Amino acid sequence: MREAKALNIKARTNVISWSFISVAVIMICAFYFYPMIQALIMSFQSGTGTNLSFVGADNYTRLLTDSTFMTTLKNTFLYLIIQVPIMIILALFISVLLNDKDLKLKGFYRTAIFLPAVTSLVAYSVIFKYLFGADGLINAMLLKLHLIAAPIQWITDPFWAKITIIIAITWRWTGYNMIFYLSALQNIDNSIYEAARIDGASAFTQFTKITVPLLKPIILFTSITSTIGTLQLFDEVMNITRGGPGNATMTLSQYIYNLSFKYTPDFGYAATVSYAIVILIVIFSILQFKLAGDKNG
Amino acid sequence: MKKIIALLLASIMILSACGANTDTGNGDNAGEAADTSKITIWAWDPNFNIKAMNLAKDVYAADHPDLTVDIIENAQNDIVQKLNTGLSSGTTKGLPNIVLIEDYRAQSFLQAYPDAFYPLTESFKASDFADYKIGPTSVDGKNYGLPFDSGVTGLYVRTDYLEQAGYKIEDLQDITWDKYIEIGKAVKEKTGKDWISLDPNDMGILRVMIQSAGSWYLNEDGKTANLEGNAALKEAFETYKKMMEANIVKIHADWSQFVANYNSGDVASVPTGNWFTPSITAAADQAGKWAIAPLPKLTNNPESVHASSLGGSSWYVLNVPGKEKAAEFLGATLGSNVDLYQKLITDVGAIGTYKPAAEGEAYKAPNEFFGGQEIVADFAKWTAEIPNVNYGMHTYAVEDIIIVEMQNYLNGKGIDQVLTDAQKQADAQIK
Repeated sequence: MREAKALNIKARTNVISWSFISVAVIMICAFYFYPMIQALIMSFQSGTGTNLSFVGADNYTRLLTDSTFMTTLKNTFLYLIIQVPIMIILALFISVLLNDKDLKLKGFYRTAIFLPAVTSLVAYSVIFKYLFGADGLINAMLLKLHLIAAPIQWITDPFWAKITIIIAITWRWTGYNMIFYLSALQNIDNSIYEAARIDGASAFTQFTKITVPLLKPIILFTSITSTIGTLQLFDEVMNITRGGPGNATMTLSQYIYNLSFKYTPDFGYAATVSYAIVILIVIFSILQFKLAGDKNG
Repeated sequence: MKKIIALLLASIMILSACGANTDTGNGDNAGEAADTSKITIWAWDPNFNIKAMNLAKDVYAADHPDLTVDIIENAQNDIVQKLNTGLSSGTTKGLPNIVLIEDYRAQSFLQAYPDAFYPLTESFKASDFADYKIGPTSVDGKNYGLPFDSGVTGLYVRTDYLEQAGYKIEDLQDITWDKYIEIGKAVKEKTGKDWISLDPNDMGILRVMIQSAGSWYLNEDGKTANLEGNAALKEAFETYKKMMEANIVKIHADWSQFVANYNSGDVASVPTGNWFTPSITAAADQAGKWAIAPLPKLTNNPESVHASSLGGSSWYVLNVPGKEKAAEFLGATLGSNVDLYQKLITDVGAIGTYKPAAEGEAYKAPNEFFGGQEIVADFAKWTAEIPNVNYGMHTYAVEDIIIVEMQNYLNGKGIDQVLTDAQKQADAQIK
């Protein structure tokens, strides 16, 4: 009798705790997993607008022969390979500088460098477009300084357009990543550095042997979030170059947008391209975990 | 057990409450769509389309005071996106009664969402409108769109720069693109001003050239690409490259730079749609220095004429409650009112495609900004000559391929190879 009651109480606590969780679970299922499954189903369909029909794996084979998809993939990887390392190293470097105990006006510098991260993506993109225009401020400055003889076509030249995009995202996101490093740096015990200094370690050795290894989990975290962010890059490219010239700066996300909204909509194929991004993100995250070789990263 | 059920019910209620909230949040006109004493209209460009619709609204209000017409301005891209998401989700809540759609995109909407639009065949007389507007706006003989502005093109030229280079506006009547480039070189040499402003991401100039020869990116069926072996397109490609190599082109990257290039006097000519007139006249200090010549034609293409179209759009009625009222509104205003079209000319500068309107006074008035030229009459004359082509469903998809291949062509790839490759990509893209 008593045992039964005890069980009953246990069951009741279970029920109560589960019902608390259930709200979140139902919400996540309804707004996350259900659309994801629907999108997966849709990625096996093709057709214009509402006239979708099942085509099996056709969309996926089309993906492999689609030259626009391949170009956008290449562009996205280029941003990834060049921009993410530059940004991570820059953020790391700045955060170490700003963590200096003797630095004056620390708060001001931190705010100034973090400030880009609070601006709206569209707003800053539009400003960058005008800064880097053929008659823009950057060209005017370089011309006045006699660094270049003719204006650089920042937006309309395939090579320079990519550079412009990379400069823009680096400006926008370095401060954001820096904040993570700063907070992690403050958790590193100063006595470790003191001990290293007594042992005669130079500032550079301290950085590579103490700071970087201790920041490893954070470096892993920021590089994964930056990778995901780059794979989903859309606003900057859409607003600064519109993917051009040609498709020289077009990203995967913008291609999805074009397939669904610019051309006669083929939502099925667009869903296939989005699943290609999902697969890439999963692969990259696993890869980064493996490379970092840290389970608790 | 009861508690679980109660909790589940409670959470479902919370969920549905959320749902209801977002509904009212998103569709400002969700409730109003059902209310047929009010119709909602979406359009872009406050200086042109919105202004024109406001005139129509005022005219209609005089006889029908009970109908409220709500005109909402949205950017064209936003309208396209909202229509696509709304129509594909299957719910028409939050969609307007009347919407403006660009002619190049019309077939894509009409065919991708077959029952979403309300036929207007009964609401206006299609034969009263320019022929080339009827093709893009109808499907299977049914008219879905009320043709609106004419995209008829002309060649806007700075006459003062021309004179410095030793030419007169008379020299630009009925010329070929080759001659156009030749004059451009002379102007550049004498004045230092560029001859034309182009955006490498917008092949509007190619579309203008090929339509003047009755050709398009797509075949007559509107569904298959017509690139390889398309003589008009080939010549347009070659002409484009000649312009680039003649060093007479200023590059712009967006609309505001485009307009600024002309308003600042840096560029001397622009072959474009008549809707560009307000942008030219915005620079009041250039009054009397501009003229409009007929469009140049392709040098080696016998089909090519001195008239073409760029842009241009039409009004569509969505198949939602209030559609009858909306169709009636369109029919009574832009579908038949000659006086309204005169007002459109004088107040907005919008040239319609309604043929009877061309008899009105406003069409014959000279324009002082253009040195007293009767520009509306000229445009109306050219409108009648525009070759009718089927824009089909995939203009923008093909154009994106063309933009890339054009870069390859400018970088030295052979023209036939360029068109063959473009054809292959287009075939894979639009099946």
